[in-house]
Amino acid sequence: MLSYLLRRLLLVIPTLLGITAVVFFVMALAPGGVGASLLTHEGQMNPQQRRAMEQYLNQRYGLDKPPVVQYLRWLNKVSPFGYRDRADAKRGLPWFKSPDLGESFSRQRPVTALISESLPITLLLNVVTIPIIYTIAILTGIQAAKRRGQLFDVGGGTILLGLWSLPTILSGVLLIGFLSNQEYLRLFPTNGLHDIQADAMTFLPTTAGGSFQRGWLLDTLWHLVLPVVCMSYGGFAFLSKLQRGAVLENISLDYVRTARAKGLAEKEVLYRHVFRNSLIPLITVAANLLPALLAGTVVVETIFGISGMGRLMVEAAFVRDRELVLSDALVIGLVGLIAYLLADICYVVADPRVSYDA
Amino acid sequence: MTLDAAVSSALAAAPPDAQASDSGGRPVRSLRRQAIHDTLSNKRARAGLVWISIVAFAGVFAPFLANSYPFLIKIDGRISSPLLRHLSRLDIVLLIALAAAIIIFSRRHVRVSVKWAAFATIIAAAALGSRLFHAPGTNVYDTYRQLQRDGKIQWAVYAPVRFSPNDRMRDQPALRLTPPSRHHLMGTEANGADVLSRIIHASRIALAIGLIATSIAVVIGVVIGGLMGYFSGRVDIIGMRLIEVFEAIPSLFLLITFVAFYGRNLYLIMAIIGLVSWTGDARFIRAEFLRLRKQDFVQAAIAGGLPLRSILFRHMLPNGISPVLVSASFGVASAILSESVLSFLGLGLVDEPSWGQMLNQALNVGGAFTWWIAVFPGLAIFLTVFGYNLIGESMRDALDPRLHGIA
Repeated sequence: MLSYLLRRLLLVIPTLLGITAVVFFVMALAPGGVGASLLTHEGQMNPQQRRAMEQYLNQRYGLDKPPVVQYLRWLNKVSPFGYRDRADAKRGLPWFKSPDLGESFSRQRPVTALISESLPITLLLNVVTIPIIYTIAILTGIQAAKRRGQLFDVGGGTILLGLWSLPTILSGVLLIGFLSNQEYLRLFPTNGLHDIQADAMTFLPTTAGGSFQRGWLLDTLWHLVLPVVCMSYGGFAFLSKLQRGAVLENISLDYVRTARAKGLAEKEVLYRHVFRNSLIPLITVAANLLPALLAGTVVVETIFGISGMGRLMVEAAFVRDRELVLSDALVIGLVGLIAYLLADICYVVADPRVSYDA
Repeated sequence: MTLDAAVSSALAAAPPDAQASDSGGRPVRSLRRQAIHDTLSNKRARAGLVWISIVAFAGVFAPFLANSYPFLIKIDGRISSPLLRHLSRLDIVLLIALAAAIIIFSRRHVRVSVKWAAFATIIAAAALGSRLFHAPGTNVYDTYRQLQRDGKIQWAVYAPVRFSPNDRMRDQPALRLTPPSRHHLMGTEANGADVLSRIIHASRIALAIGLIATSIAVVIGVVIGGLMGYFSGRVDIIGMRLIEVFEAIPSLFLLITFVAFYGRNLYLIMAIIGLVSWTGDARFIRAEFLRLRKQDFVQAAIAGGLPLRSILFRHMLPNGISPVLVSASFGVASAILSESVLSFLGLGLVDEPSWGQMLNQALNVGGAFTWWIAVFPGLAIFLTVFGYNLIGESMRDALDPRLHGIA
C-alpha cells in the first residue's frame, strides 16, 4: 500500500509538469503574447513609460527570452527546490527555497494571496455539494434498481437523463431570475456568499435585541442554497444511474441469493450486502467528479457572483494574466490529482479485497 | 446527423462476419446491425432524433424561416425576390451541400469512398465559387418595412418569421426588450432583434460545433488511443500520462484559456473543443485495441506484412469502434454545452447569434430579469443536449451485451 501510494505520488510530478507546460505554451505561443494587454493599458501610456514598463516586465518575467526559457524560469520559481537568486542564497539549506507563485499582472497582488482567498470558497462549495450528490444518488439508485422496469425506474431514468442534460447556465439563470429577482420572488440573495454585514454577525442565530438575527452560519447557508442546487443536480443524476447499474449487477450474484436464502430481510440484503459492493464504481467516478465540479464552479460562480477559483481563472484568462492562470491551473490540477489518490485509498476502505501490493 | 454518419460509417466498416449465417442457414444480424436496429426502435432515441432533425432543418433552411426580406415581392409591377438576393455565402454553400448530399447518397451501387469524394469536391467547389462570385453587400433591413408603410408594395410573400437575426429594428426603437407578443412570438432582446429569429439562426452554430468538434475529438482519440493500445508498453505509459494531463485540467479551464488568448473564431473554437475532449475516446479505443491486438485476425494481418495504417484502421478499428460511437453521441451534447458556456461567459462569437450568448443577455440587462430571453434559448440548448444524450444512452444500452440477456 505504502509503496503504491509513493509511486502514485511520484507520478503526480510529471503530470503536474505536463499540465503547466500545456497551459504555459498555449499562452506563450498566442499571437500578441502575454504582455500585450498590459502594454496597451487603455492607450494612456507615452512611449517612455511604455519602454520602462517593457523593460520592467522583461527583467521580471523574462518576456524577451524564448518561451522554453521562460517556462523553466517559472518552474524554478515555483518549485520548492532549485536555483536561487543571490539575494536569498544566504539563508536556509542549499537548493531549497520557498516556492514563489509570482505576482498577478492584472491585480498587482501576490498570486498566493489571491488563491488562498478564493480556494477555500470553491472548496466550501464542493464540500457542501459532494455529500448531497452522493446521498441522493445512492438512495435513488438503489430504489430504481429495486423497482427495475417499473414506472419509478423508467420515468425516473428519463428525468435523471434530463437533469443531466440541463445546462447549469439555464438552471442558474432561471433560479436566480425567478427566485431572487426583485420583480418576482425575493427568496434568495442574488450575489456572493455572505451578506454585506456578515462580519458583524454572531455565529449562531440569536434573538437578542428583540428581533431575530440570522447569524453568520444561517446567512452563509442561505447564500449557499441556489449555487449548491445548481452544482448538485447534474452530478446526482449521473451518479444515481451508475448506482442503479451497479446494484443491478450485484443483485443477480450468488452471494445475494445466499443472503436471501438464509432468511435475511430484503432491507438487510440491499443496504448491508449489496450496498457496499455497489460502491466501487461510484468511488471510481469520484476522482473524475471533482475536476468536473471544479469546472462547473466557473459557471455557478459567475452567475451567483461568488469570487472563487473559477471566477478567478476566467477573469485572469480574460486579461491574459499569465502568473495567475498558471498558478490556477497548477492548484486545480493538484486538487484533481489529490482526488484521484483519495479515490484509490477509498477503494481499500470500501473493499478489503483490493490490495495495491504487487 | 451524427447517427446517420455513424450508421453509414458503421455499415461501411462492418466486420467480415456481417453477412454470416448460423448453422441453420438463417442470416444472423451482426451485433452492430442489431444495435442500430435496437437504437432506432427505442422510443426515447426516436424522440431525440426527431428534435435534432427539427434543429437541423431549422439550421439549413434558416434564411427561409426567419428573414426580414420578403421571399417574393411586387413593386411597380415588377416581381423580385430580395430574400434570394440577400442569401449569405454560408447559406448558399449549405443549400448546395444539402442538395449534393441528397443526390449522391441516394444513389446505390456506387462505392462509399467515391460518394464521399464527390461530396467533398462539390462542397469545396461551392465554397470556393461562392467566395469568388458572391459580392458582400450591406444589409438595410428596414427597407421593405418602409416601403410597406409607404404603400408602395402591391403584394409580398414573407418568411414565417419576418425578422432577420441581426435586424435591430432601427425604425422601431420602442420594440427593445418587449415580452412575447403576436408579432414577436418570443419577444425581442436588448437591441430590438427578434429572439425567435436568433434562435433559429443560432441552431447552425450549435449543430456545427457539436458535429465538427466531436469529429476532431474522435479522430485524435482514435489515433492516440489506437497507437497506445496496439503498441502498449512504453507508448501506452506515455500516452496515459498525456491523457491524465488533459483530464486533470478541467477542460472548461483549458477552453477558456485557449479562447481568451487566441481570439474568437468559430473554427478555432471547434478545433479547441475537439482538442480538449479526446481523452474519453482515446481510453475506449485503447481498451478495445489492447483486447484485439492478440487476436488471430490481427496477428494474421501483421504476419501478412500489412502496413501499420491498414492494420490499425482497416482491421482493428471496425471491431473496436462501437464504444466510441456511444461516446461520440454524448460528446456532441457536451460540445454544444461547452460552446454555450463559452458564449455565456462572453468568450463566444460576437456578431453571430448563439444560444449561450442569448442566455447571458437575460441577466445582463440592468437588473431586470427578462425571462423570455432566458427560457427560449435555454430550452433550445436543453432539448438539443437531451436529444443527443437520449440517442447516446439507447445506443449504449443496445451495444451492451449483458443487458440483452436480462431484458
